[in-house]
Amino acid sequence: MTVCCQFTVTMGATVPTGFEHCAAEEVREKLGAEAKISKDRGRIYFQMSSDSLPLVHQLRSVDNLFVVVKEYVDYQFKDSKEETLKDLQDLASKLPWTNPLEVWKLNNVLKKRRWRRRGANVSRPNPSSDGAKEGTQEGAADTETQSLEAEPEQPGRVEEDYEDNQGQQDKGSAETGAEGTPGVLKFRVTCNRAGDKHSFTSNEAARDFGGAVQEFFQWKADMTKFDVEVLLNIHNNEVVIGVALTEESLHRRNISHFGPTTLRSTLAYGMLRLCKPQVSDVIIDPMCGTGAIPLEGALEWKHSYYLAGDNNDQAVNRTVNNVAHIHRKRQEKGCGPWGLPIDTVQWNLCRLPLKTASVDIIITDMPFGKRMGSKKRNWDLYPSCLREMARVCRPGTGKAVLLTQDKKCFAKALSRMGGLWRKSHTVWVNIGGLHAGVYLLKRVASAFGETPEDTDERRDPRGAETAGEEKEEN
Amino acid sequence: MKLLTHNMLTSHVKGVTKGYPLLIKATEVKVSEVEFNPQFVSRMIPKLEWSALVQAAEEVGHLNDLPTELLPDYENNEEFLRKVHRVLLEVEVLEGSLRCPESGREFPISRGIPNMLLNEDEA
Repeated sequence: MTVCCQFTVTMGATVPTGFEHCAAEEVREKLGAEAKISKDRGRIYFQMSSDSLPLVHQLRSVDNLFVVVKEYVDYQFKDSKEETLKDLQDLASKLPWTNPLEVWKLNNVLKKRRWRRRGANVSRPNPSSDGAKEGTQEGAADTETQSLEAEPEQPGRVEEDYEDNQGQQDKGSAETGAEGTPGVLKFRVTCNRAGDKHSFTSNEAARDFGGAVQEFFQWKADMTKFDVEVLLNIHNNEVVIGVALTEESLHRRNISHFGPTTLRSTLAYGMLRLCKPQVSDVIIDPMCGTGAIPLEGALEWKHSYYLAGDNNDQAVNRTVNNVAHIHRKRQEKGCGPWGLPIDTVQWNLCRLPLKTASVDIIITDMPFGKRMGSKKRNWDLYPSCLREMARVCRPGTGKAVLLTQDKKCFAKALSRMGGLWRKSHTVWVNIGGLHAGVYLLKRVASAFGETPEDTDERRDPRGAETAGEEKEEN
Repeated sequence: MKLLTHNMLTSHVKGVTKGYPLLIKATEVKVSEVEFNPQFVSRMIPKLEWSALVQAAEEVGHLNDLPTELLPDYENNEEFLRKVHRVLLEVEVLEGSLRCPESGREFPISRGIPNMLLNEDEA
């Protein structure tokens, strides 16, 4: 990539809350940069050279990326709304826009090349044509219509050089003006505001700041078809102005066939990182849904083996479709063996058709009472789940990473399993407004069938009443 | 269904004690390309039932020259590890069935997915 001069720039990224440290680790590993975790939960910041931009797109724990224009750690807001908003307006012309906009331009060049490489895939007019080719069953077809919008940027995994493909269509109007050709840029301002001492709303700030930005650059404001998205993030006294680099969130990157509760790939990545997959680890997701977790694992930690399983017809079909989709993309890229170490089985989680002690890691998103299943069913489901998972999991070395919103039910079920599972670590996350917990459990080094808990299912739980409440850890 | 998966699958029909290994009947098999990682293969071998793997490879017509007994010092034998890699990860049963050796119960395989769900009375 030719850049006349490279410069240092501060990047910001939004990540699933609870996994900020995981994302910081990934930044350290892949970019060699130290990330700062913002007090505004779910955000990290790091510095990098402008020519590291392609590397940044390989981050798997990041939902959205932006370039920081300016950060105020302790912004002094005036008392009145009028004065505060005037200050914001005055700010627009004083900010160091040059370098961040340069990065935005570079990013567009990268995106354009990725779209071109995709060729025909981009301009597919009928979203369900994909389904017809694969011969998917009735059940899977209902989600096909989402596949075109949901087709993720997949900016990661671009290892090869950025040669332009001849004769391919450009993406569309968004590219106008991006490479210095004449044409007025369209923009919008998105404001996120948190804190109880502000005299203004996020809409007012966005409107007034946006007005000043428009004056300064002579850009055109457009809420839906914008080229530049300016971010105004206000968290108490921390104010960060940035320019967005990602259009759609990266968090649905692997999934083309959605289900009712498909997990964000960034969250799946964070959960996998927690359990640190080792070479030859057998990793199962016994309630895989659309296969988000095993698929993310098979892409990032190829040295392990992934078994995705579910009892539901639609779920296993969607999983197979998602795997096939990724296989096809890899085949198209043509860089070496395209197959992934992942397989799909239809099974009942409470009666797994697997040999005892044959699995190293169990990682899954357990049904939430509100979005799927019901609280009463979870009450019965969780203990049998945990028991069967303990049976197939290797004693001593085995682990489980379980995501659930039904913390009370889970805690109670777990309290009766002390002879099989030991709680190691918990991460609290936010899933679409619902607070959930990711529990990392270690399999106790006792063979299944020897502890009292697993031989007598109807045994009265000791201390059942105290098991329900659990303090927030971490 | 890859043969590595098959090596872990067992019949869990009520009352069955010898539900392993499941007998494969394959009507459609395909071979894919998966990146070879010698460490993965040599560390996976101790977790496998070798005789079940050999039997499975034979049942799907991909035994080739895979030895019926594990070679000593296989960790350093790349040629051997490559053969094992192929059989474990690259050979896939797309259509067919798995039969419980004790009860005879058949579990269908369709689109590469074995359906191991039991009926009410079998569980």
